[in-house]
Amino acid sequence: MNLAKADTKPAWCPGCGNFGILKAFNAAIEEAHVDRRRLVLVSGIGQAAKLPHYIDGNANVFNGLHGRAIPAATGIKLANHSLEVVVTSGDGDMYGEGGNHLLHAMRRNIGIHCFVHNNQVYGLTKGQASPTSDSGFMTLLQSHGVMSAPFQAMAAAIVADASFVARSFSGDFEHLKAMMIEAMKVDGFALLEILQPCVTFNKVNTFSWYRQRVKPIDPAHDPYDRAGALELAFRWGDEIPIGVYYRSKRPGFESQLPVLKTGTLVS
Amino acid sequence: MDISIRIAGEAGQGVQSAGNLLVGALARTGFHVFTTKSYMSRIRGGLNWFDIRISDRELFAGREDPDLLVALTSEGLEILAPLMADGVVLFDGKEAKGAYAIPFTEAAKEAGNAIMANSVAAGAVFAVLGLDNIQLLNHLRIQFKSKSDELIEQNLRAARRGGELAASCAGRLEARPIDLGRDKVWAGSDAIGFGAVTAGVKFVTAYPMTPSTATLNYLAEVADDHGILVEQAEDEIAAVNMVCGSAYAGAPSMTVTSGGGFALMVEGVSLAGMLELPVVILLAQRPGPATGLPTRTAQADLQFAIYAGHGEFPKAVLAPGSHEECFSLARHAFALALEYQTPVIILTDQFLQDAEKNIEPPRADARPVDFHVVSVGGDYHRYSITDSGVSPRAVPGGEAFVVVDSDEHDSIGHISEDLLGDHIEQHNKRMRKGEGLTSRMLPPVELGHPDADNVMVCWGSSLGPCREAIDALIQAGEAWRLVHFAQVWPINGDLCRRHLRNPPRIVVVEGNSTGQFASILRQAGVIDKCEHCLRYDGLPFTAGYIVEQITGLSSRSTK
Repeated sequence: MNLAKADTKPAWCPGCGNFGILKAFNAAIEEAHVDRRRLVLVSGIGQAAKLPHYIDGNANVFNGLHGRAIPAATGIKLANHSLEVVVTSGDGDMYGEGGNHLLHAMRRNIGIHCFVHNNQVYGLTKGQASPTSDSGFMTLLQSHGVMSAPFQAMAAAIVADASFVARSFSGDFEHLKAMMIEAMKVDGFALLEILQPCVTFNKVNTFSWYRQRVKPIDPAHDPYDRAGALELAFRWGDEIPIGVYYRSKRPGFESQLPVLKTGTLVS
Repeated sequence: MDISIRIAGEAGQGVQSAGNLLVGALARTGFHVFTTKSYMSRIRGGLNWFDIRISDRELFAGREDPDLLVALTSEGLEILAPLMADGVVLFDGKEAKGAYAIPFTEAAKEAGNAIMANSVAAGAVFAVLGLDNIQLLNHLRIQFKSKSDELIEQNLRAARRGGELAASCAGRLEARPIDLGRDKVWAGSDAIGFGAVTAGVKFVTAYPMTPSTATLNYLAEVADDHGILVEQAEDEIAAVNMVCGSAYAGAPSMTVTSGGGFALMVEGVSLAGMLELPVVILLAQRPGPATGLPTRTAQADLQFAIYAGHGEFPKAVLAPGSHEECFSLARHAFALALEYQTPVIILTDQFLQDAEKNIEPPRADARPVDFHVVSVGGDYHRYSITDSGVSPRAVPGGEAFVVVDSDEHDSIGHISEDLLGDHIEQHNKRMRKGEGLTSRMLPPVELGHPDADNVMVCWGSSLGPCREAIDALIQAGEAWRLVHFAQVWPINGDLCRRHLRNPPRIVVVEGNSTGQFASILRQAGVIDKCEHCLRYDGLPFTAGYIVEQITGLSSRSTK
């Protein structure tokens, strides 16, 4: 059977939040003049994880296993720290299956830049709860509603003292593009969580639900103020802050490794 | 001359340090030395022992029972002394039935510090062996060269005192040194690490797990000298995926693990197969299932290693049988992984990881293996279709864009569900590399009488004990041949049949309860009927164990 014709690009639903993320990413790599030959896009498995295949123009791509984008990206960055390594994957991949790796990558403060597409639901497996689903969220599988508390990635990253912790929204092109460019400038670990609707499986956290709630962080907020950043990180509900929550002065992991002082492992 | 010395005591009591001191001093005295370790999974207490065998001939294994037992605790005395038919027993104390009571600890305190009981014991052992203690004293001077003169003097005094205290049993065992001139002992774990270093490994990551950790420690120790990055991973899943990432980026990469850790890695093994990444994994076996016996030995993960990973993809499994093969097969693992762009597993076990021997030093000037990385530009297809199945491999950062995907993919590397086109083409391309690995199988090694009717078959670490077993059987007038497999996967049936030659009697010796390698050979049509000599009590094979089993097998079959 020849399915080549049916194997269309992309595999996303019309109106999917991933389109906004893809558009902003294409613009960000153009605007930041990222050298595409030195750019490696790393992803796991899920609908978000297909993004590297759909970008305009070329890049190096490592589309690995479910939940394991971060360790693969860590290996790539350690082998050749002159590469710009961007991880782009979903909330299930990064916070669920790969949660342990996220925790330890933030502890290492390895210089990889993670864009987590967060739609608070599992798309590719068709509608189960994700680690960020709100309490009470009903699905076929969670038929009595989600009972676990949602994973608070912003707070976790601030506590782990990652170099850069930010949140944006797939429906705000300029803001998202700016956050991506900022994240790619960071020496250590960058976590950029991108809120996005899932038009098929999440009828609660819709495009307009996010649109009504996201609010840029007050420019007076000092991102080096850890306590202030944590206070912002706990806000979720009627108002969801977007922008740079936190910046750390901690050096990136690679800069502390004596063996990398004289070059990369592949030079 | 063949003397086996056993130092036994509690964990944390200095069994290891006493053993290390004696091994160094005896090697320096000019013997062939071979050590094995038996320890419990704990930090304190229990009963651990360290066996040191010395001879004027080359040694390949340990022995079941010692000629000289040095018991540092009463448990050591009570449990281990009754196993000895004869021989000498030293006990750290004032009196002991059937043993020479020598107060090592007391004497050490008098010499300056209880911690020097090791030096007292070593002095006593040298006396029992009838050896001049000059090399023991030299070894102590070298071992403590960074310490104060006073501390060195105290240790020398302690060692001399040990010799005096053992006056009543001096010369009970007659050890005649030869002038071998090999001071340095190598553990199998270190020989594998050094093989990897000379092959050109640049990135190593692992989660600590006995008995693989010894290799990780070795690599961490030498990393700075060789520009190698060693990172402790948060878990084994991270380790194998990091290694996939670093291999993709162009650094020769390796991870090390054991039983349960390898089980966690298995999805990553499949990833390396699908992405066609040169990944080397050291799997140091211990008895399972689950946590099993963490500090003991087994060869029970053979089929698990061979079949590790979902889906069908090529891999090679190499199983060193000696310290020399630890070095050479670690190099070969990198050479194969890089040439065929697929995972290669080095399969060893606690016995060989921990066993030490004063081998002829491996060649430090051995050249790095060929990394097989191409520098191309323009329209690069990572998975271009070739006859051999091997596609030219570029790495990111150069002119070519390198796209890899764990989903089935087209020749560029992009995700594809074109079943009859991309999928079948890529699948067949990957599997063609397996044909290459099969045709390049390392030939089995033959020892003993070429035309013997009795053939012993072994793989991996059983080589040493089997080698000594056929020597003993041949000396007893029987005709035996040994066929050792250092490559256990893939199996080239034609090649193996040429080495087996269908003898009347085949005994397959392996450290598991089900005859796993015999099944592999049968499945490949290499053997038909065979007898099994198995061991799965957690202890290593010895010639004595094998000869006893084989004699039992033949007496049963003649009844």
